[in-house]
Amino acid sequence: MGRSPISSTNSLDVKNLFFTYHEWGDKDPLALFEDLSFSVPQGSKTLLLAPFDAGKSTLGRILVGGIPKYFPGTLEGTITIMGNDLATINVWDLLDRVTLVSQNPQEQFVASTVEEEVAFGLESLGLEAKEMRGRVENALKHWGLYELRHVANSELSGGERKRVLLAAAEALDSPFWILDEAFDDLDLRWRTHLSELIRSTDKTILLFSSRYLSHFTDVFDQVLLLGDKQIRQTRVDQAEEEFALLSGDTQTQSLDKETIDPLQRHIYQATNLILERRRFSSSASEAFHLSVADFTLESGELVSLVGPNGSGKSSLSRILCGLDQPLEGERMIDGKRVDSSALNRSVGYLFQNPDLQIFLPTVEEELSYSLRRIKGLSEDEIAKRVGECAALFDLDLTHTPTTMSYPKRKALQAAVYYLLDRPFYILDELDSALTYQRAVMIISHLRRNGAGILIITHDRQFISYLKGRTYTITEGRLEEG
Amino acid sequence: MTVNTFLANTGWLYRFDPRAKILLLILLLGWFFLPVTLTGLGVLLLLILFASLSNPGPRFVLATFRSILPMILFMILFAPFNVRSGQPLVTIRFFVLLTEEGALQALKLALRFISITYLATLLFATTPMHQILLALQWYRLPYNAALVITLAFTYIPFIADGFAQIDESHRLRQAGEKTEGKRTGKLKSLVPTLTSSLVLALRSIPTLALSLELRGYGRANKRTHYHSLDSYRSTFTDFLISVMIPLISFLIFKA
Repeated sequence: MGRSPISSTNSLDVKNLFFTYHEWGDKDPLALFEDLSFSVPQGSKTLLLAPFDAGKSTLGRILVGGIPKYFPGTLEGTITIMGNDLATINVWDLLDRVTLVSQNPQEQFVASTVEEEVAFGLESLGLEAKEMRGRVENALKHWGLYELRHVANSELSGGERKRVLLAAAEALDSPFWILDEAFDDLDLRWRTHLSELIRSTDKTILLFSSRYLSHFTDVFDQVLLLGDKQIRQTRVDQAEEEFALLSGDTQTQSLDKETIDPLQRHIYQATNLILERRRFSSSASEAFHLSVADFTLESGELVSLVGPNGSGKSSLSRILCGLDQPLEGERMIDGKRVDSSALNRSVGYLFQNPDLQIFLPTVEEELSYSLRRIKGLSEDEIAKRVGECAALFDLDLTHTPTTMSYPKRKALQAAVYYLLDRPFYILDELDSALTYQRAVMIISHLRRNGAGILIITHDRQFISYLKGRTYTITEGRLEEG
Repeated sequence: MTVNTFLANTGWLYRFDPRAKILLLILLLGWFFLPVTLTGLGVLLLLILFASLSNPGPRFVLATFRSILPMILFMILFAPFNVRSGQPLVTIRFFVLLTEEGALQALKLALRFISITYLATLLFATTPMHQILLALQWYRLPYNAALVITLAFTYIPFIADGFAQIDESHRLRQAGEKTEGKRTGKLKSLVPTLTSSLVLALRSIPTLALSLELRGYGRANKRTHYHSLDSYRSTFTDFLISVMIPLISFLIFKA
C-alpha cells in the first residue's frame, strides 16, 4: 500500500492556536494555549520541553485530531500536518502519515496481546499477511519483545508496554512520529536504544518531555519551550538551562544534607525471599523468579531500587507492603515476623498511577477519609490536620481530584499517605510526573518523622539527589550497590 | 486498556476450532433452558467441570467458582422461598418456610447458573481473543460488531482489574490499629471502591475511542487479517461434535 505524497516542506505547521478545556462546574474555563504558533520541518528532530502541567499531552492529542473530538473544549487556529489541514481529515486517515505514542501506554492499547497490538494498525492499512508478519517480527525483535509476543498486555511491566507502542510505531513506518514522554518507563538500555533511533532515522520526530535527560544530547536539531500558554524556540545548547528556569527546577537540594531524627527507630528486614510471577497468557513465557537474600530499610533512610524493565521491582514492592505473598522467606519489622495486614499498615506504597489510590469527590474528603477511621480523633483535629496538609502540598480542598492535573493528583496521593504517617514508604516512580524539586520536596515531607523510604526510579540524576544506598536487580537477584 | 481472559495451556479444547466452539456454546446455552432432568443438569455440569480441569486447569476452576460464589449463595438462600407449592420440608408453626419443590427449583437454578458461567468463561479462557473475532466474522458478523463484542468481553476484566487495584489501595490506606472485622471493613469500603472503579472505566472510554481511530479504525479501505483460522485441521469433526453433544444429551436427559 503506497504512502500519500508529502506536499509540504514542513511536517507540521501550527498557527495561532488557542485552546480551552470545557469546564463542567461553575468556574470560568482557563485557556491552556493562547496564540501558539510553531513549525516542525520535514526530517527534523524536534524536542518540545514543557513543565508537567503545561498541556503537552493535550497538544499531542490536538495534533492528531483527538481534541476536541473526544475531550470537549474550544479550539481555534490552523494545524497543517503532513500537508493536510487537520480540520478536513479524519483521525484514521493519518495512520500512514503520523504516529502518536502516548505518555501512558496503558490507555493506548486496543488489542489483547503484544503481537496483535503491533499488527492492529497494519491490518487497518490493509497490508498482506506476509508483509505484516515480516514487519511485526522485525519490530518485536528490534524492541526485545519477540519472546513476549503472545503475552497479554495486562501482564507486561510499564517499560515493556512502552516498548510495545514504540514497536507498533516502527511497524507502521509512518514518516512523522509524535512521542509523548517516550523515555518515561524505559530503562537505561532502551533509553539509549531510543535516542540512537531518533538520531539515525530519516523520519520527522517531535518528542515531548517534561525533563531534560542526558540522552537528549546531540540528538535534536530544534528545541521548543512550552510554558505560560505560549511556545518559543530556544538554542539547542541553552535548552537545559532555559527549561530549568521555565519549570522552576533550578535549585533542587540534595537530601543528604537534611537531618532526620526519627521519633521512633524501626527497621524493616526481608530475608531469603523468593518471588514468582507467571504470565498466564503465554505458555512460551517462563515464570519469572526474583531472589532477595537480604533487604533492610531503616528509619530515616533513603534507599533507591533500580533494575531493568520487567525485572520485578513492582512485584518486590507488592511483597514488601503485604499485598502479595512470597513463595519463601520472611518479612520482619524490628526483628518480629509480621503478617500482611500489619505490613499494609506499616508500609505506605504509592503506586505509579495515582488514579488507583484517589477516589473521593473532593480533596477534603480524600484527605480526611483515613483520619475519620482513627478512633478518638475529633472533627476539629481532623479539619486542622487536613488544612495543614493541603497547605503543605499546595492543594485546594474544594477541588475535584479527577479533574486536577496529573502532578496535582500525584501530590494528593502523597498527601494522603503523609497524613497516615507510616514508618516506611515505597515510592514507585514518583519522579515520572514531577519536577526533581517537587519530588524531593514530597520525599522530605514524607520523612518528617523519620520514615524509611524506598524509591523506585530509572532516573540516575534523580538518584543523585537522594544520596542513599541503592539496591539493584540483576538477573533475578536483588543486590546492594 | 484491554485485559486478557485467555489462559495459555495445551489441552484438547485449545485445539478445538473456535467456530465450532461458539456453536457448541450457543447450543448448550439453549440446552440449559430446555425441559431436562435434574440428573441431566448435574451430568452436564460434571462434564463441563471435567473440560475445565483438563484444559485451563484447577486454578481456573477455583477462580471462576470464587467469583460466582456470592451469587450461588444468594440463589440457594432465597430462591426456595419463592416457591410455595409442594411437600413442606421446613415449617414454623403454620408458616411453610421451605417446600420440596422450592428446594428442587433452587438446585436446578444453581446448576444452570454454574454451568452457563463455566461454559462462557471456558470459551474465552481457551480461545485467544483474535480467534474469537475471526470466528464471529466467519459467521458473517460485521467486523465492527465483532470488535465491539470482543472489546466488551475484555472490558469486564479491565473493570475487575481496576476494582482489585483500588481495593488494594483501600487496604493500604487503613488508619490506626485494627478496630473492625475484615468483613465489616470490606463492606464499608465497597461503595467508594465501586465508585472509583466506575470513574476509572468511564474515563477510559474517550481514550479507547481515540486509540482505535489512531490505529486506523474507521478507514474506508478493506481491513486485512494478521491471523487466520486455517491452522484448524479438524473443523468438520469439531462441528459434528458440537452438534452431537447437545443433541444426544437432550435425548438422554429430556424431562
